[in-house]
Amino acid sequence: MTRLTRRAALALAAACAAAPALAQDGWPSGPLHVYVGFPAGSSPDTLARIVTEPLAERLGQPIVVENRPGAGGVIGIQQMLVAAGDDLTFGTTINGPLTTAQRTMDDTGYDVDADIVPVTLIATSPLVLAVNAESDIADLQGFVDAAGAEPEALAYGSVGQGSGAHLTAELFAAEAGVSMLHIPFTSYAEVTTSIAGGEIDAGFMAPSAALPLVEGGQLRMLGITSAEPFAQVPDVPVMAGQAGLPEDFRAELWNGFIAPADTDPAVVERLNTEINEILADPAVQEQLLAIGWVAAPGTAAGMEERIAQDTAMWGGVLDRIEAAE
Amino acid sequence: MGTWDGLLTGFAFALQPGVLVYCVLGVTLGTLIGVLPGIGAMAAISLLLPITYYIGAEAALIMLAGVYYGAQYGGAVSSILLRLPGTPQSAVTALDGYPLARSGRAGVALFTSMAASFAGSVLGIVVLVLLAGWLSRAAVAFGAADYAAMMVLGLVAASTIGSAHPAKGFAMIVLGMLLGCVGTDVNSGVQRFVIGRAELLDGINLVALAMGLFGVAEVIGNVRDPGRQAVAGRIALRTLIPTREDLRRMPLPVLRGGALGSFFGALPGTGSTLSSFLAYAMERRVARRPERFGTGAIEGIAGPEAANNSAAITAFVPTLTLGIPGDPIMALMLGALVIHGIQPGPMMLEARPEMFWGLVASFGIGNLLLLVLNLPLIGIWVSLLRIPFRWLYPAILVFVCLGVWSVRGLTFDILMVAGIGLVGYLLALARFNPALLLLGFVLGPLIETNLRRALLISRGDPMVFLERPISAFFVVAAAALLVHSLVQARGRRRAVGAAAPDDGAR
Repeated sequence: MTRLTRRAALALAAACAAAPALAQDGWPSGPLHVYVGFPAGSSPDTLARIVTEPLAERLGQPIVVENRPGAGGVIGIQQMLVAAGDDLTFGTTINGPLTTAQRTMDDTGYDVDADIVPVTLIATSPLVLAVNAESDIADLQGFVDAAGAEPEALAYGSVGQGSGAHLTAELFAAEAGVSMLHIPFTSYAEVTTSIAGGEIDAGFMAPSAALPLVEGGQLRMLGITSAEPFAQVPDVPVMAGQAGLPEDFRAELWNGFIAPADTDPAVVERLNTEINEILADPAVQEQLLAIGWVAAPGTAAGMEERIAQDTAMWGGVLDRIEAAE
Repeated sequence: MGTWDGLLTGFAFALQPGVLVYCVLGVTLGTLIGVLPGIGAMAAISLLLPITYYIGAEAALIMLAGVYYGAQYGGAVSSILLRLPGTPQSAVTALDGYPLARSGRAGVALFTSMAASFAGSVLGIVVLVLLAGWLSRAAVAFGAADYAAMMVLGLVAASTIGSAHPAKGFAMIVLGMLLGCVGTDVNSGVQRFVIGRAELLDGINLVALAMGLFGVAEVIGNVRDPGRQAVAGRIALRTLIPTREDLRRMPLPVLRGGALGSFFGALPGTGSTLSSFLAYAMERRVARRPERFGTGAIEGIAGPEAANNSAAITAFVPTLTLGIPGDPIMALMLGALVIHGIQPGPMMLEARPEMFWGLVASFGIGNLLLLVLNLPLIGIWVSLLRIPFRWLYPAILVFVCLGVWSVRGLTFDILMVAGIGLVGYLLALARFNPALLLLGFVLGPLIETNLRRALLISRGDPMVFLERPISAFFVVAAAALLVHSLVQARGRRRAVGAAAPDDGAR
């Protein structure tokens, strides 16, 4: 009797597992298109290629990465939605277009909740705070002291109004109780050059943007915004709990896989499973780390929650920036 | 490793058959995509990027670099023959190249551009080898105030390009600067003139603007006036060979253009488009008879072509020595290296000497290949002019659309290029010079962003422009040049009286 029950349970489990596969019989029927809102060769593009290459192998269909750069990644999502409707059109995106773009742009042309279904987070990336290597500021406490000497005592660079680097710096300033002068640039290349040239004092940036200049002895990293030390720059101390920052201080950029809202739920589930398995591969994790991302697999619901959390968190930072203006 | 040993290592590396083949592939492809209007190095390198996963990092870099500087050679071809810039950098080459081609001397114009490109590249390589360290320090030393002041000097120097009608010239520059305002303002984040389209948030696409103003406008103009066909006629061999007078006019512009380009190439964010415009302006300035410009002056081809090619070489300086990519194409190449687990930067010279010196050596080899490849091709390029316009022009429009689309993959940009083409045609009818519009478009945002950034950093103190030595130098130079032009203009007006103004728009 027990044996029978066990067998029945197994059969039931197998049937359940097979159910989604039945619903998407024959999927994918053709090549997949994955829209990326950044140019070929950029970090989000490389990330997309690292994930889609094994994904194509697993699905038995080629995947075309469609680069549609512009407006901080918003164009990529717009174009994905224009092409949508065949269950073969998807996208990868950084957090901005799903969390802050609705606030910083007049009209993104899409509604995150109504038009987009999260599939899974792919990876997260912390930012480091870097200063000129010859600066007197020795550590994070020294930085907060210098910044707190008077309002806007220090100037920092970012990659644009409303960018992750800008918002992270403003979050940091609010938590540390200081105010800094924001100098917007358009790329990390300009920010690092300006710090190295002594024109501005500091900047929050992707670790891989700071690394070459740190190795060249021109920049120094004071802290990192993740909850744990980051393997790409293991010696950089975590900011949380230091220099008056709260213990739960954390600011990360992330990158996720998304689908248009009308995508078959079974397809979304299949993609989530496949991508999670890909991200569990140590070789893939290593490739991601080399370009500054740490794999962050999870459920679709988990990504949805992250979108809601970050929209609220960055929304609060944007409120403060607007109030200060 | 000394420079000499480094170069030897580099050549030994770059001449291996397995590496050389990628260099050949790169420069050949570069020439082709350069000739095709609108399809630039950016698109080609993006397409090649996935292939680089499968070849070694060094070979991949050498190939991508070959595409980049090879495109500078090819870009001039369509500029000269069809007044259709293959790349935005070569737009200014059309100003004198095209009139020269129309007067039956297309071969000479092409020869000049090839020779100047080669000489400019060689100059760029010499600068790269000898002055890389100095240039990279200069690149870091340049602040926002210095860029702003330098661009003002550039604007003053260039404002006389090809227009004897100062009011019309200024109108074009201002229109260009206004068009440059379209998009998200870097400093405030405010969206300007975007008419609710996200496609315009990053500004008007430079490729669409250049192709529309020059290429599409030219096609419309010729369709309306079919009598303009038969420029080429029969091409006699002797028209391909420059006269002694032509050769005499080349070396100095090449040296000046090459030096200017080498400097601008190494500065992150200024780019080779600007360097060719400024080289043209400089040649016009120093010429004894500036009125020859716009009618087929050899100097007007040699200077800009040397400049954009040397800039294409020294653009590698900040990328390789600092890990700072100076323009989007450099960022792309840096991305290609990162894929291979190589982080370019100050450590690269020591950590991977074969890569650094191999690349430098491949510049030399690649440019020699380009010269050898292109000189015999001149005759074939010129025969392009014998294709009946009813075949040539539809083909050109197809390539323009493809090229513009290849930048971002947006249909919107194709509609833009069509609209801009129409405007460009109207401007040409009214004898406005589109090159000045393009110049304003490139310079305007650079001046605005850097001026406001400098004032932000100085906390609003305008003295920053005079306190920084580099900036002070450019401010003084710009003022001196302005005064000089005014004095000169008054003198000339007195001498010539009210002679009928001849303008160089076409």
